[in-house]
Amino acid sequence: MRKSHAIVASVFLLALALVAGGWTSARSETKEIEIGASIPLSGPLAGFGSFVKWGYQAAVKDANAKGGIMVGGTKMKVKLTLLDDKTDPNTVASNTDRLITKDKVSALLGSCTPSLVNAGAVVADRARIPLVTGCDPLEAFKSVKKWEYAWDIFFWEPDLASAPFKTLKAWGAATNKKVAIMHDNGPDGMVVGGKLWPAFAKQYGYTVVYKASFPVQATQFGSMIQNAKAKGAEIVLVDAVTPQAVAFVKQMFAANFHPKVLVIEKGAEPVQFAQALGKQADGIIVGGYWDASFPFPGAAQLRTRYEKETGQTYSQHIADSYAAAQVLLDAIAKAGSLDAAKINDAISKTNKTYVVGPVKFDANHTSRLPIVELQWQGGETKIVWPRKQATGKLLLKIG
Amino acid sequence: MAIPTGHALATALVTGLLLGGLFTVTALGLSLIFGVLRLINLVHGELIVLGAYLSYILLTHASIDPLLGLLVIVPVMFLIGLPLQRILLTPLMGKGAEAPLLTTFGLSIIAQNLFILGFSGDTQALHASYANASLSVAGIDVPQIYAISFGFALVLTAATHLFLKRTAVGCEIRASAEDAGAAEMLGVNVSRVYSLTYGLGAAFAAIGGVLVGLAFSFTPTTGPGYLLTGFAVVVLGGLGSLWGTLLAGLLLGVVESVGAAFWGDGYRDFIGLAAFLIILAIRPRGLFGRAE
Amino acid sequence: MHEVFAATPARLRAARLVSAAGLVALAIALATMPAFASDYTLLVCFKIFKYAALAQAWNLLAGYGGLVSLGSAAFIGIGAYTTAKLTIATGVPLIPAMALGGVTAAIFAALVSPALFRLRGLYFVIATLALASAAQIWMVNWNGLGGASGLYLTVSAPTTRGVYYMSLVIMAAATVLVAGVLRTRLGISLRAVRDNEDAAQEMGLWPFRTKLWAFGLSAAVMGVVGGLQAARLSVIEPYGSFSLQWTIDIVNIAIIGGLGTVSGPLVGAVFVVWLGERLADYPELHVAITGALLILVIRFAPYGLWGSLLRLKGETIWSRLRRRS
Repeated sequence: MRKSHAIVASVFLLALALVAGGWTSARSETKEIEIGASIPLSGPLAGFGSFVKWGYQAAVKDANAKGGIMVGGTKMKVKLTLLDDKTDPNTVASNTDRLITKDKVSALLGSCTPSLVNAGAVVADRARIPLVTGCDPLEAFKSVKKWEYAWDIFFWEPDLASAPFKTLKAWGAATNKKVAIMHDNGPDGMVVGGKLWPAFAKQYGYTVVYKASFPVQATQFGSMIQNAKAKGAEIVLVDAVTPQAVAFVKQMFAANFHPKVLVIEKGAEPVQFAQALGKQADGIIVGGYWDASFPFPGAAQLRTRYEKETGQTYSQHIADSYAAAQVLLDAIAKAGSLDAAKINDAISKTNKTYVVGPVKFDANHTSRLPIVELQWQGGETKIVWPRKQATGKLLLKIG
Repeated sequence: MAIPTGHALATALVTGLLLGGLFTVTALGLSLIFGVLRLINLVHGELIVLGAYLSYILLTHASIDPLLGLLVIVPVMFLIGLPLQRILLTPLMGKGAEAPLLTTFGLSIIAQNLFILGFSGDTQALHASYANASLSVAGIDVPQIYAISFGFALVLTAATHLFLKRTAVGCEIRASAEDAGAAEMLGVNVSRVYSLTYGLGAAFAAIGGVLVGLAFSFTPTTGPGYLLTGFAVVVLGGLGSLWGTLLAGLLLGVVESVGAAFWGDGYRDFIGLAAFLIILAIRPRGLFGRAE
Repeated sequence: MHEVFAATPARLRAARLVSAAGLVALAIALATMPAFASDYTLLVCFKIFKYAALAQAWNLLAGYGGLVSLGSAAFIGIGAYTTAKLTIATGVPLIPAMALGGVTAAIFAALVSPALFRLRGLYFVIATLALASAAQIWMVNWNGLGGASGLYLTVSAPTTRGVYYMSLVIMAAATVLVAGVLRTRLGISLRAVRDNEDAAQEMGLWPFRTKLWAFGLSAAVMGVVGGLQAARLSVIEPYGSFSLQWTIDIVNIAIIGGLGTVSGPLVGAVFVVWLGERLADYPELHVAITGALLILVIRFAPYGLWGSLLRLKGETIWSRLRRRS
């Protein structure tokens, strides 16, 4: 008797799920251009996700404010569907599946950070739906596969890794040329910290006296700091995300270690880093790919708009997400159609300067953003390299 | 693997011991709640983070120093924990061990989300001059905040021990932990004891949170990491033993730090977990666990 | 005197016929679904089957064995990496690679069992959690299998229909396995061990061997699902493959569905995935609702949705039947 209950109930529930899930293969007339994105709105990367969300939504709002995009002779508005992937690559993949099969999007925008972006791009590429993304360093993007439908606008890791050395050279900074490298073992930490920094240190005539790696979620940097201090490093290069970056700096001060140069990639970029550390953040260097002072159309206005709309301090991440969305929408306009292959072709022909700089994709589907070196000074970031763009002088003191 | 110098090893030992104090403080609340209520409080991590956020609010809006702010935060968290237990968990007593476990799990999910909504996902930290200073102990530089946490660990453990041994309420708590049925028969309001203990556990968690905020940083999702550490400490020390929790916390701190000195910080957590599993394999009840 | 549903032999035969017919109808419907359902529906079903299989495996261990394991992520991850590495390094086709993924996970389970089963109650639970965390940390740091960057599968991913059928087969196999095991000596022994391990030992059952089998079978199923997920994703790394989220989702589904019943995990998977799909467009709500739902279920339906339903109906109809025949 129980078993028949089980069967009946299962059938009923499955039926419910199918009906509720919408099992029809047909779809009603599209009166809007459907695009979608899976981004981290909860979980450890929720901070990034909020910037990316704003950037995508702002670009779509701008397009709709102009009445939409001309497709097949009619002006259609753009509908952006955003899903939360909870900072989980498995969820990115299933969200992307859902956007493609249920919402029937014509094109996609990417998530943020390599493991999430790549998970979604793989699905999109396989389904032959165009995907444009920022927030994925180019080598990490290229190393997955030879892309056909996925496109990335971001910085190139070697540019980021060589920047500190170029900065020191440009200012003629006097140090003992001893470098300590400490990086997390996320994909970009391994590339920048594990491979590129040692190589560039050698190239520019520096000696790596200490090198260590730690898990992305680490809280203890004690023994690493001790080692770096013992080996007398005056230049410390760190690659870690913000929570770890804050903990690292605190522990560095507590261990009485005061290098002349401290670079913290990724983690030192957001304003929360400086707010959490106060004066101790002064002098810390981080690479950036965008600043509101850049000479590109709409840069300063984007910052003002963001700060007015959200009441929060801006981050460079609003720019690459805004630009990625614009690139996609422009491609749809150029293609004049919702056909995936046509949109894809139009993306490949992109050649325009956006708020983030000139965008043109190479054979690997990547568009490279130039890096500048920023240094925290008095709670603000100043550009210290390239010198012709500099808004401040290089300080050789931390805290 | 690298053999550390004598100085590096000594630094690791001392730092590890003091850091262990921080582990202990974050685990005390969990230990108390499990020892008395037999409840695995899965929302413990979020209570820690809540303490940190409350301190952050006091610091940014009223410029109140985090440690001073504890005078406010401890009672507030106690008053949050008490009704939480009474309303959500008391009705579940007797419905099996999974029920309250999963309720606290549900709470932790809700709490993390509320944090994101209320404070955004950004990293925060508590800023105080003593938090980033260095302390010199016999020629070894250790983070001052670790020493402060160690102090808190000793004081809190001793204070709780005295409270349980010497006060009437403490006696009731111990009786309820020992045998709730017998205690009830002897006139103890076990239900009230449980609520009080939970409130106390929440307050302890908040103290841990403030120390974490001072020493490191926190985000809405920092909770689960400290929950796991807390568990490891409580289980390692033996369920129901406060001194066990203290010793296990210190031990874990030392093992992790010394391990990191040899194998690098990358494997620090792994070494801690491996040591935990090995010790459990040898002593399945933990160091001082009492027989169930 | 009211008409009570009398369980005459004829009626019992009819009931069995209905249940058999229902089973056949369900099988036919599931088997032919790709012919008339949309890709989206098939992918939702993939999710349902995937989680149902995992919850079923977990249920064997936790519901019937009383061993609450929070280490599921380890077995899923091991299955994923085994499948990935095999297909990349040796060109083994996908399905055998997935099977081997299950085998590897079972071997790992067997290896940790001697130490793990010495622990009782909460100690066991925390130890499994620590094990899964340690496994993830190891995989992140160890560059032998890609470290934090992970592995990229070279074998072509299965199509939507492909994953649908594969996950359907895995779920069916897991359900049949669990239902079957329960009828064997192993199943009886398992429940005896759950209810009172010491008494079971006295009675001549072998608790360790029993737990080992249950643990191994459970791990094997999870490993196979991990392999399938790896194939579908085409790129795996430790944060996703060994993610605690797997463990959380499985426990969620098993509890909401109902522990200790064969249909519970299926019902739980359908409900939770369905809810997730409905709320996907409201991300803030989704997480809050999942948490609130869990609390409500625990409070008012502690045997899970299916379990409570069974108790409700079973109490009246089953006791009526017993009284009659």
